[in-house]
Amino acid sequence: MSKPEISSPRVTVLKFGLAIVSVAIALGLALLAQVYAIPNLEFPLLLCAIAITIWYAGNGPGALALLVAVLSFEYFFAEPRFSFYVHPADRPLFVLFILFGFIMAWFSSRRRRIERELREARDKLEIEVAERTQQASLLNLTHDTVFVRDMSDVITYWNRGARELYGWTAEDAVGRRTHDLLQTIFPAPLEEINAELLRSGRWEGDLTHTKLDGTKLIVGSRWALQRNAQGQPDAILETNNDVTERKRAEGEIRKLNEELEQRVVERTGDLEMVNKELEAFAYSISHDLRAPLRHMAGYAELLQKNASSSFDEKSRRYMTMILESAKRMGDLIDDLLAFSRIGRAETKKTKVSLEQLVKEVLSEVRPETDGHNVGWRIDALPNLYGDRAMLRLALVNLVSNAVKFTRKRPQPEIEIGCVDGKENDIVVFIRDNGVGFDMKYVNKLFGVFQRLHRAEEFEGTGIGLATVQRIIHRHGGRVWAEGLVDQGATFYFSVPKSWEE
Amino acid sequence: MSELGRILIVEDDPKDVELTLTALEEYNLANEVVVTRDGEEALDYLYCRGNFKMRTSDNPAVLLLDLKLPKVDGLEVLQQIKSNEKLKMIPVVVLTSSREERDMVASYKLGVNAYVVKPVDFHEFVNAIKELGIFWAVINEPPPGSIRKK
Repeated sequence: MSKPEISSPRVTVLKFGLAIVSVAIALGLALLAQVYAIPNLEFPLLLCAIAITIWYAGNGPGALALLVAVLSFEYFFAEPRFSFYVHPADRPLFVLFILFGFIMAWFSSRRRRIERELREARDKLEIEVAERTQQASLLNLTHDTVFVRDMSDVITYWNRGARELYGWTAEDAVGRRTHDLLQTIFPAPLEEINAELLRSGRWEGDLTHTKLDGTKLIVGSRWALQRNAQGQPDAILETNNDVTERKRAEGEIRKLNEELEQRVVERTGDLEMVNKELEAFAYSISHDLRAPLRHMAGYAELLQKNASSSFDEKSRRYMTMILESAKRMGDLIDDLLAFSRIGRAETKKTKVSLEQLVKEVLSEVRPETDGHNVGWRIDALPNLYGDRAMLRLALVNLVSNAVKFTRKRPQPEIEIGCVDGKENDIVVFIRDNGVGFDMKYVNKLFGVFQRLHRAEEFEGTGIGLATVQRIIHRHGGRVWAEGLVDQGATFYFSVPKSWEE
Repeated sequence: MSELGRILIVEDDPKDVELTLTALEEYNLANEVVVTRDGEEALDYLYCRGNFKMRTSDNPAVLLLDLKLPKVDGLEVLQQIKSNEKLKMIPVVVLTSSREERDMVASYKLGVNAYVVKPVDFHEFVNAIKELGIFWAVINEPPPGSIRKK
C-alpha cells in the first residue's frame, strides 16, 4: 500500500543523493574490478546505477546519474584515462548511455502510470465497499423489516428488523425461499401480484406471514423491483411492517361502528315509538281532556240558567269563576296542542314575502287593539325562506304581545323592522313602548308557561313566546329580547335568507 | 216548521248526549232524534239489523257522528256508509272534540259533508248544535228515502 507521492525538498534531496550514491557505488565496484583485473565491468555497473536511479527516483535524478556516470566513465575508464578528453571511438558508447537512459525513463513512466491507475481503481473499490457496508449497516439499523430476494424468491439479504420480527437470523434465512419460510398468504393470486410488480416496478398490499414461533401476523408489505444494467429484473426488495395490531384495532372500530349503528337504529326506533306515543298523547288530550271541560262548562251553564234566580251575588260569582276557569283551561289546552303540533309538524319551506305576511298579521291582530290608536311603523321588509304558516303564527304571537303590553299606554307605538344579520341571516324585530320587562327575567321569557305578569294585569297562557321560539329554532334561527321596565320591549328573531338543508 | 228530518246521533259519552239533546230541545228539534252509543250500534241502525231489525228501512236525514267511539270508530263508520250504495247519500256531520288536522283530512277524504269541532264554551256549543239541527233537519232537503216527520 503506497502513499501518494510527496515532493518535499527533503525527498528531492534524497532522490538526487540516490543518483550520486548509486553512481559512486557503481564507480567504486568498477574500480575494484579493475584492481582485480576483471575486465569490462564498469559499463554495465554504471548502467545499473542509472537504471536504479530512474526506476526509484524518477527522471530528474536519472538525468543527473546519467551525467555523472558519463563523466566518471570518461574520466576513469575511457582512454586516455584520468582525462575528460572524448575519443571519437567512444562516442557510440555515450549514445548508448543516453539511449539506455531514455529507455529506462520510458519504462519508469509506464510503470508509474500503471501504478497510479491501479491505485485509483483500488481507492474506488474501497469507497464502494465502504458505502455498501454503510448501507447494509443502515438497513440493519432500521426497525423496519427489510429483506431482498432474487427472482426465484430465494432470500439474499435479511436485516435486523426482519430477524426481530420473524425470529430467523440472517444465516437461517438467507438461501431459503421466502414464501416457504414465511408461509405467505397473499391477498390476490401470486401471478397477478408478480404481473403488477413487473409492470410498475412495485407492489403494495397486506400479507399474512407465520413467524418462527408459529404465530401468524399481518404485515403491510411493499415490494420494489430491481433491474440489472440490461434492464432484466434481478432482485426484489421487500419492506414489511407489522400491522396486526392496527388491523385488530380497525376490526374493533368497525365492530364498534356497527354496534353504534345498530344502537342508533334501535334508538331511532325507540324515539319513533316515543314520538308516536306523544302523538297519541296529544291526540288524547285534544279529544278526551276537552270533553269533561265542555261538560263542566255545559252543566255549570245549565245550572246557572235554571237556578240563577235563587242564587245570591256570591254564588253567581262562583258560577262565573267556574265558567271562566273552564274557558281558560280550554285555551291552555288549545295553545299547548298548537305548541306540540309545531314540534311534530313537517316544515314546508317556501319563499315568503315578509312584507305580505306582516300585512296579514296586522289585519288579524288589529281587532285586539280595542280601538286604541296604535302608532304602527312598518319598515321595508325582505323575502325570506321558511314555513309560511309557522312564521305567520310566530309573528301573530309577537305582534299581539306588543299590542297587549302597550294597551295601557296613552300613545302606543309598535315598530316592525329588520336588520341584515351576519352571513345568511335576516334579523326581524318587533319593538313596542309598552310595559317592558326586567332584564333579569329575560331567560324566563321563552319558557313554556312562564309569565312575567299577573293574570289580572295581562291575560295569556304563557305559551306564546315558547311557540315563537320553537318555530324559529325549527327554522335554524334564534330568538332574543331586550327590555326595560316601563320602557318597552324589543323582540328579535333571526331566520336564514335562503334555505340550506 | 213543516217537516222535521230524523237526526241520528252517534255518541258514546252520556253527558255529551244529554247536552246535545238539551240544546236540540231548546229549539224543538229533539223529537226525531235517535241516539246510538257506539259505531256498531250505529251500523246496526243503518243496516236495520240487531235491535233495529223492526224499524222502517228509511235513512235518517242527517247523522251526527263522533269520531272516538267504542268497538267501531267514527272514521270506520263513515267509511262503511260512504262505500255503501244505499247509505252513501246520507249527509254525515262529524261532531268531535278533535281539532287534529289528520282527523279532518281523513274525514273529508272519506266524503264527510261537514266537520264541526265541539266548542268548549257552552253557549257556542248550544249554538253550534242548534244551527246544525236547523240546517240539516229543517232547511236542507234530504236525499229521497229519508225519514221525515210531517
